[in-house]
Order: sequence, then C-alpha cells, then structure tokens
Amino acid sequence: MSGYDRALSIFSPDGHIFQVEYAAEAVKRGTCAVGIKGKQCVVLGCERRSTLKLQDTRITPSKISRIDNHVVLSFSGLNADSRILIEKARVEAQSHRLTLEDPVTIEYLTRYVAGVQQRYTQSGGVRPFGVSTLIAGFDPRDSTPKLYQTEPSGIYSAWTAQTIGRNSKTVREFLEKNYNRDDPPASVNDCVKLTIKSLLEVVQTGAKNIEITVVEPDSKIATLSSQEIGKFVEEIEREKQQSQEEHEKKKKSASTPAAPTPATAAL
Amino acid sequence: MDIILGIRVQDSVILATSKAVTRGISILKDSDDKTRQLSPHTLMSFTGESGDTVQFAEYIQANMQLYSIREAYELSPQAVSSFVRQELAKSIRSRKPYQVNVLIGGYNAKTEKPELYQIDYLGTKVELPYAAHGYAGFYTFSLLDRHYRPDMNEEEGYSLLKQCIQELNKRMPMDFKGVIVKVVDKNGVRQLDDIE
Amino acid sequence: MGSRRYDSRTTIFSPEGRLYQVEYALESISHAGTAIGVMATDGIVLAAERKVTSKLLEQDTSTEKLYRLNDKITVAVAGLTADAEILINTARVYAQNYLKTYNEDIPVEILVKRLSDIKQGYTQHGGLRPFGVSFIYAGYDERYGYQLYTSNPSGNYTGWKAISVGANTSAAQTLLQVDYKDEINLEGAIDLALKTLSKTSDSSTLTYDRVEFATIQKDEKGDLHQKVYKPQEIQELLVAAGITKKDDDDEDKED
Repeated sequence: MSGYDRALSIFSPDGHIFQVEYAAEAVKRGTCAVGIKGKQCVVLGCERRSTLKLQDTRITPSKISRIDNHVVLSFSGLNADSRILIEKARVEAQSHRLTLEDPVTIEYLTRYVAGVQQRYTQSGGVRPFGVSTLIAGFDPRDSTPKLYQTEPSGIYSAWTAQTIGRNSKTVREFLEKNYNRDDPPASVNDCVKLTIKSLLEVVQTGAKNIEITVVEPDSKIATLSSQEIGKFVEEIEREKQQSQEEHEKKKKSASTPAAPTPATAAL
Repeated sequence: MDIILGIRVQDSVILATSKAVTRGISILKDSDDKTRQLSPHTLMSFTGESGDTVQFAEYIQANMQLYSIREAYELSPQAVSSFVRQELAKSIRSRKPYQVNVLIGGYNAKTEKPELYQIDYLGTKVELPYAAHGYAGFYTFSLLDRHYRPDMNEEEGYSLLKQCIQELNKRMPMDFKGVIVKVVDKNGVRQLDDIE
Repeated sequence: MGSRRYDSRTTIFSPEGRLYQVEYALESISHAGTAIGVMATDGIVLAAERKVTSKLLEQDTSTEKLYRLNDKITVAVAGLTADAEILINTARVYAQNYLKTYNEDIPVEILVKRLSDIKQGYTQHGGLRPFGVSFIYAGYDERYGYQLYTSNPSGNYTGWKAISVGANTSAAQTLLQVDYKDEINLEGAIDLALKTLSKTSDSSTLTYDRVEFATIQKDEKGDLHQKVYKPQEIQELLVAAGITKKDDDDEDKED
C-alpha cells in the first residue's frame, strides 16, 4: 500500500492499464466525428448531440474548434475534458509562434496533444482524458492536407480518412468501402459530400445535427451553415432514392418471365 | 532617439515610425519596422530599450492572437490597450521591468470610430487625437496643435505627418532614415508610402 | 492510507467509460430545489424554489438560490449551496479581474467557460469529489445580447432559451417547451417562469417565502439593470400570475 495506488492508471497483473481502456470506452460513448482528406482540402464533420428544442444554437459550443489560423480539431468523448485539451493546444500553438516565429505543423500539434494525453495516463492522482481527437489542417507554406488522430492512451496516428466515437465502426466500414486513397475526392464539394454521406450512416436526424468544417491551404477555414449542409443532405437522399429505384427496376425486370436473364436460363 | 508619431483623423489612425536602428554612434539598419499588428484592426508602434521592445510587442501580439482564437472574437482597441497597459503596469513592479513605450492605433468596428492610445513604460494610458514618444513630440506638437482638425481625411492626415517629418529632418541633430507609415481603418491595416 | 486510497479513487472511469462520481453528483442535484431561467426578447427571468423555509428565517438577507456575479450576470443555483459559494466567489473575482485587465465587462460565455473548466478539473485530478452544483447563468454582453446558460458537475455547459435545473426538471422542461415562444417578452417570461415553477413544485401551493426571483433588463436609457425581488414583490408577482389568491395573502399576514 506504500504509494502504490497513487497513480490511478497502473498495470494490472495481466498487463492492462484499465483506466486507459475505460477512457477509450468513454470515447465510444461520445458523438461521432469524421475526418476526410481530399486532394486539396481536409474536411472535419461531426454529429452534434441531439439539439433539444429550447437549446440556443447561437451560443452552444461547437464540437469543431480552431486551434490556430491553420488548424482545426474535433473530438469524441467527454466535452469538458476536450475543452482542457483544446485550451492547452491553443496556448502551445501561440507559444510556438512566439518562440520560433513559425506556426505549428499539424504533426507537431498532434504530438503535443498526444503528449498531454499520455502524461495523464502516467501521473499521480489523475484520470486519463476521456477524449479522442481528430486534428486537421495544412502545414505553413504547404498544400498537402494533413489529418491525425490522438487517443486517450497518448497514441497518435496519421490517416487519409478516419472516424471516432459512437458507431464509428459503421462509419469506418463505409469509408473503407467508399474512400479510395489513391484517388481522394478532387473537389471540396465531393469531399464535403462524402463526409456528410458517411455521417448520415449513423446520424438519423439529418442536417441540423451535423457540423462541417472545411480546411484549405493558406489558413482558409470555413464552417458550413446548416442550410448548406441541408442541401448536401437533400442531394444525397435524392441519389439514394434514385439508385434504390433503379435497383428495384432491375429486380423487376429480372423477375419478369418474358426476358429471362442468362443466369436464370442456366438454372 | 526613435521617432514614433500617431495621428487620429476622421475615419482612421495613421502611425509613423522611424526606420533607423542605432547602437552607440552607428546606424545598423535603415529599414526597420517598429510596429506589430495585434489584431485585424489594431496596430502598435513601439520605442524603448532595444530587445525589450520586440520581445514585449510580440508577447502582446501572441496574447491577442490567442484571445481571438479562443473566443473567435476581436477585442476592441480600447480593450487591447487596457491589456497592454496592465502588462506594463505589472512589469514596472517586477524585478526587471520592460523599458517600452507604445502607441496603439485602432479602429473600433462597433462604434465605427478610430482610436489612438499612448502608453508609456510606467503604465500611463491616455487616449489622444495625436501623440508621440520621445523627442519627436518636442519638434512636432506645435505643428500638430496648429494644423490638426478631427475631421481631416486620410490624405490630409498623411500630408500633416509629412510636414512633421520635414520639421524633424530639419531640426533633429541626427538622421533617423525616414519613417514607415501605416494606417488603420475599417478595412484593417495598410502601409502607405514611406516618408523620407 | 486507507482514506487516501478512497480519496484518490473518487473520480475514475468505470469499465463502461462512465464517471460515477459525476453521475452521483448529478443525481444529488435532481433532489435540489428547482431553478428556472427564461430568456425573453427584452430581458431574462430567473426563478427558484427554495427547500428550506421557516417562519423564523430572515427573508430579506438570506438568498440561497440567486447570486449576482457582476453588473451583467446573475446565477441561479441547484445543488449544494456551500459548493456553489466557492465557485461564485471565484467567478466574482474572475469577472472583476477581466474588467481590470480589459476595462470592459467580461463576456458571459468566458465566465461560464471558466467556471465549467474549474468544475471539469475536479472530475479529473486532485483526488477530490466533483462540485455538486448546477448553475443557470443569465447575462448580457455586447456580442450576443441576452444569454442563458447552464453548467453541471461534469463541466459541460450549454446555451438555452428556457431551461430548468434541480428537482422535477424533466416535467418543468416539458412545460417550458410547450409554452415558450421565441417572441416572448419579459412580462410573459415572468408569468411562464412562475407558472412552471408552481406546477412542478412538490408543495401544493407555491408561497412567496419559497420563491426567489430575479430579472435582467434594460431601462429606457439602455442601461442594464439586475433586480433581485424582495419577498413583498414576489408576493405581488404570485398574485398577478394567479398562483396565490389575494385572500390567502391576508391570512398569511395575520399568522
């Protein structure tokens, strides 16, 4: 008992650090976030927790935050925890500018955030952050899109497209099927559309519960209004319906005895 | 011996700062910019102990940038200058105070008015129609007192500044290598032609 | 050592990724006296029901649910009053510090965020239990005008048009949802807040000694005023809203 239990996150006899694993569970309970790299942009999207009727959307905090002029961060997990990480990241970004006369690179910032998260898995009397983050942007004077993820354990990784939080498994399956890393979405529009489409896999309520932010080179960061998102949602739904109708038509024509397909003929 | 001057006209504030960097009896540089932009609508010019000045200005700049990233909101020039005043007031009570005097020119987008503040290293803040630090004031305040009108436009302000610089060139015992001129208005910060 | 072990384990993740201490704190708040905030086009109303009443309690000096934070912001409290006072004290100092630094009143959200960050801290480190309070903040600033926020022990905060915290909050919220209109004015908001409070109250009739009440609004000159109502004024409001009958009032006084 001699100080042995001071750290909240310690190894169990079979080599697990339970608090870190449980923190990852907290992330899975958080609303879903998606990040997708396009040819010349990165898009972050996330599910906004069901907006209740009397909520004031004007002043309710967003789930996508700007860390510096050229970096944005989205998260899944505990909202309050994320604010602390975001604050630390913002201060680091400015302090980096001040001492090095250069904005942070996306990887540097990711490494910093992951480092903070790691520290909370190995310090006395603290619990880990119940937060995974997606960090997106462009390095200064560079036009290659960057997208990273950090986890409660302090692990960070680079992605072409990634999703975290509730139902992220479904969304990841969608992305794995619909995202081609050798041919990423060419236009901003396509990239946004794919992001929204992937979110719609798990967000039932549509446009009003989706947030989208687009980052382009030279610190161009734009947050879409719910009307703009609504247009995309409509378009996607229209396409879905169309393809469904076509599918049904095919089925019908397949089942008409007048024109047996080769497959049925072979039977 | 730096020249820093500021003048508030109808819709903008114009700041002028000398381009010379001097050490001892030598001029090291003739293209120095003694200003830093603190926010889209605030510009600070500074003079004082070399080293302290840039250190202080960039520290303020980083803090204002941090505020705007955090809140997605631009502080008013009044608020920015209050922050700067407090930092200098804290500094003067520390072990090694900053030796920095500043002018802050800003445009308040809400009230649609230009504002000019003078703050010295002691933490004295004054809002003024025209202002200077150091010797520049002694030579130019008579001109400014005589010719300044609050309803001047940018062009008239610029030519009044030109007169001031002419006077300084004529009377000052040393060369300050002309001035850089910047203007802050509703569109932000812009550089005008240097006055030699 | 035993107690240390207990302490340092106050706020940790459960296997499902939940923070039980935070959830228990929330549970404790759901037994506290209800507080309601309603934002109108021309002001904000805060109303709260206090649980402790006694004929012997000084009515004028002891508020336990409503506190002014600065010239522009008032909060209503649900939960442990002692915990609340710690945070309120911090908030008041923070607001004045901001005023001292920028020579401008603190924007409402910055203060809300600051308090929420402190609350968050107690769910992550220090080996202390979380704060057992939820707040409703009613305030005004240049950027967003009138604003209404809540924050809870987890350190989350949200902006609202009308909101309740404390006991029977889901019933109160349903009532607010039905009767709230975006174009409601302060008069309507006062009526809505009191009626909702009276309908969700555990006691059969809502009497003036159980209610605390405050408003924020601008006068004709555009200056902002906060008003914490006196017992007599609350009584008048209750009568006007038809919650207390005139006759009851007289009887009350004879007691």
